[in-house]
Amino acid sequence: MRLNWKTFVLSFLVILVLFPFIYMVLLSLATDWRFPDLMPNYIGLKNWKTILNSETGLLESFFQSLFISLSVGIVSTFSGFFISRSVYYHPKRKYLNLLTYFPYILAPVVFAACLSFFFIKMGLFGNIGGVIIAQFLIGFPYAMIFFSSFWNKKIRHYEDLVATLGGNRRQTFIKVLLPLAKSMLLICFFQTFLISWFEYGLTSIIGIGKVQTLTIKVFLFIKESNNYYGALSCCLLIFPPVVLLYLNKRYVFKNLV
Amino acid sequence: MNSKTSNIGILFFILIGVIPFAAAFIYALLYSFGILGVFNDGFTLKFWESVFSSGEFLSSFGYSALIALVSTVLSVSGALWITLKFKESLDKRFLSFVMYLPLAIPGVVAGFFTFQLLSRGGFFARLSYQLGLISEARQFPDLVNDTYAIGIILAFITMVMPFFVLLFLNVYKNERLEDLGVLAQSLGAKKNQVTTKVFLPILLKKTSILIVLYFIFLLGAYEIPLILGQESPQMLSVLIIREIKQFDLSQISEGYVVAVIYTIVVSISAILLFLPKKGIAHET
Repeated sequence: MRLNWKTFVLSFLVILVLFPFIYMVLLSLATDWRFPDLMPNYIGLKNWKTILNSETGLLESFFQSLFISLSVGIVSTFSGFFISRSVYYHPKRKYLNLLTYFPYILAPVVFAACLSFFFIKMGLFGNIGGVIIAQFLIGFPYAMIFFSSFWNKKIRHYEDLVATLGGNRRQTFIKVLLPLAKSMLLICFFQTFLISWFEYGLTSIIGIGKVQTLTIKVFLFIKESNNYYGALSCCLLIFPPVVLLYLNKRYVFKNLV
Repeated sequence: MNSKTSNIGILFFILIGVIPFAAAFIYALLYSFGILGVFNDGFTLKFWESVFSSGEFLSSFGYSALIALVSTVLSVSGALWITLKFKESLDKRFLSFVMYLPLAIPGVVAGFFTFQLLSRGGFFARLSYQLGLISEARQFPDLVNDTYAIGIILAFITMVMPFFVLLFLNVYKNERLEDLGVLAQSLGAKKNQVTTKVFLPILLKKTSILIVLYFIFLLGAYEIPLILGQESPQMLSVLIIREIKQFDLSQISEGYVVAVIYTIVVSISAILLFLPKKGIAHET
């Protein structure tokens, strides 16, 4: 009896989790699905074919988002890794660590609104370069915090050992530190990629609608009340992260607690 | 360690991690006092007075804090219940992957999906019609863009609760709570006491900083309140952007006042959470 109750609740939870994905796919395949119909009258690939149509620019947005997120992920991960070494070996590391949290917990959209003046002055407003730099400013603190646990006494002892055995700094990084940090670098890249991939508020402020990432497209379709294209954009937005999560799920929580 | 390399690292850290935040804050502060801005002509406190006298900021702040608090409490409570009731089942291969899926849903999709489900023309309204509970769409209750922020809270829970389930499961394993529970029971503790005196205190203590961080993140959330929120009061980030991006340029300073107050609140929270405590040794 007890087992049945638990199985029922668990099945309900699984349906609850899968429902958004199923609903979004169904909505993206539908046209003319109006109240009070519970199921759409048409289910087919008509909307998906429009991805190839340059008129909506969804495919272009997908690749633009991919380019921005890959850039932010790679730059944030490597700069965070190398710079965090200086910060977390510093005698005042506890205070420097505190400073990394300020931009991390501030709402990105508010951060962008306050920074927009400087982006205008530097000619970074309304272009991809500006959006990448702005997103990097929120991806970088994440990477710094992420690597804070890596630079511990054990790693320092390894570095000292390499130096004692005659290894130079380049060899220390290439032969010891990077191999040791391989899995963390990968996870950090996934996480910063996702931060960028999911970002809307900051992108809308710095990109001023000219840089149309997928999240911006979803909002545009919501404003136009075009639910079908909105759902289609949502599908493009959520399925790449599903693949990434599958690849790195076992590591996601490793360094959180 | 080579001190020259270290100094370059610190310099880059300050350039990327500190200066942009400081510059953004100082700019907003100067704008809020009328020192910067096209229509401003020198230092004044009128924008600060106006923000506090209008009451919109305070109601928005209270509204945001309440929504964030309710969402966090419900998410954490639900996640604790799921973790403690289904921990063995959630370890299975298929379920362990399914539990990760909600992490792939960004705020903008959660907002859009919640709107599709709960609006008057949405899925649940259609279901209610088919079940004969309503005869037309307008009879369906307001669950999005509503006064009680039901849509916002549900969307927040959808996003936050799965994260906490996974987090608690991880803590449960890492802290070997199963073994501690067996030990407590062998010492005479009842099942209920094991949960309330062993499991809950450890789970909550180990994750307390992340719980507070999530409250702060929800306080400043933007996409979901933008899609599912009402006109007034609005959540903080939505209010700030509305004020800063409005056409009436003379009102922009008030937006920066709210941005400054929000930044100060968030910064104080960061200091309270992460400032090194005296007497606590950190091994690094």
